[in-house]
Amino acid sequence: MAEAGVRKKISVTVNGVKYEREVNVRTLLSDFLRRELGLTGTHVGCEQGVCGACTILIDGQAIRSCLTLAVQADGRSVTTIEGIGSPEQLHPIQQAFWENHGLQCGFCTPGFVISAYAFLSENPNPTDEEIREALSGNLCRCTGYQGIIKSVKAVAEKMQATAVSNTK
Amino acid sequence: MIMTKKGLGASVKRKEDPRFLTGLGQYTDDIEKPGTLHLAILRSPHAHARILNIDTTKAKQLDGVVAVVTGEEALDYYGPLATTINISNNVPEIYAIAYKKVRYVGEPVAVVAAVDRYVAEDAVDLIEVEYDPLPVVVSVEDALEPKALLYEEWGHNIQLEWKTTIGDIDDAFAKATYVFEETITHNRYTGTPMESRVCIADYNPATKHLTVTCSTQSPSQVRTLIAQTLRMPEHNIRVIAPDVGGGYGTKLQANAEIIPCVMSRILGRPVKWTEDRVENLLSGMHSRDYSCTLKVGLDKDYRILGLKAKLIGNIGVDGTCQGPGTPALLVAAAYFPGPYKIPAYEAEVLGVVTNKGPYGAHRGYGKDIANYPVERMMDIMAQKLGISPVEIRRRNFIGKDEYPYEQISGPIYDSGDFQRLMDIALEKVDYHDLKKKQQEWRKQGRYIGVGMAAMLEPSGAAVFNGVFNGYQPATVRMTPEGGFQILTSHQNIGQGVETTLPQIVASVMDVDIDDIRLVYGDTDVTPYGLGPFSSRGATYTVSAVYEAAKKLKDKILKIAGHLLGADPQDLEMVNGHVRVKGVSSHEASISLKELGNKVYLWPGPYGTVPKGVDCNLECTYTWTSEVVKWVPDEHGRVNLYTTHPTGVFVAVVEVDVETGQVKINKFIVSHDSGTIINPMIADGQIAGGIAHGIGGVLLEDLAYDRNGFMVNADFQSYLCPTAMEVSDIEIHHIECPSPFTPLGTKGMGEGGAIPSPAAVANAVEDALEPFGVRVKDLPLTPERILEWINKGEVNHGRS
Ligand code: FES
Ligand code: FES
Repeated sequence: MAEAGVRKKISVTVNGVKYEREVNVRTLLSDFLRRELGLTGTHVGCEQGVCGACTILIDGQAIRSCLTLAVQADGRSVTTIEGIGSPEQLHPIQQAFWENHGLQCGFCTPGFVISAYAFLSENPNPTDEEIREALSGNLCRCTGYQGIIKSVKAVAEKMQATAVSNTK
Repeated sequence: MIMTKKGLGASVKRKEDPRFLTGLGQYTDDIEKPGTLHLAILRSPHAHARILNIDTTKAKQLDGVVAVVTGEEALDYYGPLATTINISNNVPEIYAIAYKKVRYVGEPVAVVAAVDRYVAEDAVDLIEVEYDPLPVVVSVEDALEPKALLYEEWGHNIQLEWKTTIGDIDDAFAKATYVFEETITHNRYTGTPMESRVCIADYNPATKHLTVTCSTQSPSQVRTLIAQTLRMPEHNIRVIAPDVGGGYGTKLQANAEIIPCVMSRILGRPVKWTEDRVENLLSGMHSRDYSCTLKVGLDKDYRILGLKAKLIGNIGVDGTCQGPGTPALLVAAAYFPGPYKIPAYEAEVLGVVTNKGPYGAHRGYGKDIANYPVERMMDIMAQKLGISPVEIRRRNFIGKDEYPYEQISGPIYDSGDFQRLMDIALEKVDYHDLKKKQQEWRKQGRYIGVGMAAMLEPSGAAVFNGVFNGYQPATVRMTPEGGFQILTSHQNIGQGVETTLPQIVASVMDVDIDDIRLVYGDTDVTPYGLGPFSSRGATYTVSAVYEAAKKLKDKILKIAGHLLGADPQDLEMVNGHVRVKGVSSHEASISLKELGNKVYLWPGPYGTVPKGVDCNLECTYTWTSEVVKWVPDEHGRVNLYTTHPTGVFVAVVEVDVETGQVKINKFIVSHDSGTIINPMIADGQIAGGIAHGIGGVLLEDLAYDRNGFMVNADFQSYLCPTAMEVSDIEIHHIECPSPFTPLGTKGMGEGGAIPSPAAVANAVEDALEPFGVRVKDLPLTPERILEWINKGEVNHGRS
């Protein structure tokens, strides 16, 4: 653990907004987002890098914000769940989770949506098995994963269909 | 039954989802008042030790630390933890912060309040404690010996001891053609909600009001427990529960929550405690951890003549004050007979305290304990008799025409049809074809097995003396503009009540669910009542909401009758309007908005409301069950549960005999929970429950070593099932409405967790039949499977 008390100035772009802040060097990125910026949609379920609830995107890559220090995000671009969609304009992944009962208590949901987002941008046409594997780094205690897998499948199919109709 | 698109029976999308999907939910840790201090807790590294001395000097000197409080210092501000539940068990004197002695690894010893959590955690490392270690009680044998006493004043380690004999049990066994006896065990595990416990306490020394915001399933119950433990007037305490990130029974007490309350009371400032995952595994509620010896006598036609069950539970430190777990063992004793007809019955229960973590509720609450040994036993007996597990169940199921059925152990089952449920499950899984193919697969070296378990899910417990007594009011209120609010203590913990309860009111009032909002999670706002536990929502809360809505509808019709000059009897509510039945003319109709406006605002009540009508457009109904029986008969029998969902679950598994790996290929469920409010949500509950069952049978194990250390207190080594372990789940419903609730609904939510361990264990045994494997201890780790395969090969055949 970095030495307590040492502070460092960082500049991070989060959901398109640039923030300059001075942080304690040992501040976790998850704490920075939640407490410093008030972006509480990123959840912390274990602080051990296992549950995936804290998943965010840094420069497009899905990472665990509980295993990352705020200073490591200096100069980089972060996307959190708040940057994916809004209640008025849900992202197709969020819409699919809503339609397919991909969530219950909602605590794991931001992590799953972000993981699915990163996964589908790499593999837009996955098999069930690939979906399961891709999401196996995220824990959900409520749903038994049925609705989640269904949601990701549904959105992949929809994106495929749109892609096909767009090329026509 | 009213079947509107938005009402009862429709798979309506959930009202609560948009905020969760966009990160706009608000869980307790998301809330922070300026000036809040953060807590960190020093926890015992010893399973059992006397505390000789605590030196907090260095910790107090650290920059940013505001206070350090020990168990002894806290005594000036609170008493022992209040009792959550007590059914003839021993209640210990035990405190939120250890006093004089620690009794499990992870027990709070001292608490730091500091400007942030990082500093508070640093300070915890600076507290010096001198312990005098005591002999450690880990196993049931340790407890009974006794190797040491957890509570010296008891003189033993027994928290619960109970026995009943009903019918001529000796005669039953004397007459039996076949007698089987097996001891069946289950590992200790828990719910691990993704949101661990979090609690913010804010005591105002001027008003002497305490506001507690916490992640709990039961705000009213928590308020009572805090008042009793802190010895504060309950009317000065307000408990707020915002969005809750899962509960599954584990958030039904106030033990750790007492710590922030006492710290805020001492400091007069808001304080926040956010439990980390290690703390949650060590000290959040544990469940299961039992051994059960069953003895069954069958007649020549394989019908059960007598059942004897001896259950021994390893409770851990306590299951009455720290958490409500201990009586789960009695629930098991009431429900061992399960779906079967049992002419003679004997049950013996022993619950011992040990130096493991607290015992609470977790999806099942003893119904799982009743289920696993019996459903395993049915398969074991079938194997030994050389008959099909289908046949032995078929011959012993309660018949569909026998409901309401008074079980020998006391419970009254409301409705059901196990035979049909089993037929459906077998047909959907294509059982006979599978059994045929199984032989061919074996020739190819593939070991695929199919296992079933019947499920009985007593739902809606009403337990005398305490905060689980079934008290459930609901208020339904109409606003001036004709919208509705439902106010209830029934917390949303992910089970979808923000949608399903409005569906109930929508079906009564014939309005859109978007015009109805559930208001909950604040004891200053809702009527006092209980939270979601014991799958009680669709038994108690739904019934209370339904009756309150009907009362309000009655009032609305009376007022509308007065305004329309019509007899209220001739009126109906249609699509947000009250109108003369069947008439669509404008004059014969008034919108709810117009009516609300008239009563509340323009002109107001005079002249608008008929004489003798209390014009408050708000009705409260407290629903109580007519079948609950608290006075024990000569055998000590009572009836605590009102409704009983049923089901038959079938698991198909494949075992890799080289690696010992078990893969679940699919789950087929046939299920009956009476009238279903929202099928999509009901299916989600079943699937979630199955995932907990799969976790318990394959992966999850709160493992303690001989010194009472938990060896896997983190998510790297305590394995929760992921999307790779939970198979596809196919669910089929039948609906046998409950005669004991106004809408025929039955509570549900635990049903998935109850039978799935037995279904999987039975399937694994079926897969490994050529090796003569008998499934013993859980979870079914690859090491254990390989050991059994090897042993089975040596023994060459069935045990
Ligand atoms: S909180 Fe980061 S992985 Fe669990
Ligand atoms: S929805 Fe509750 S943990 Fe996933």
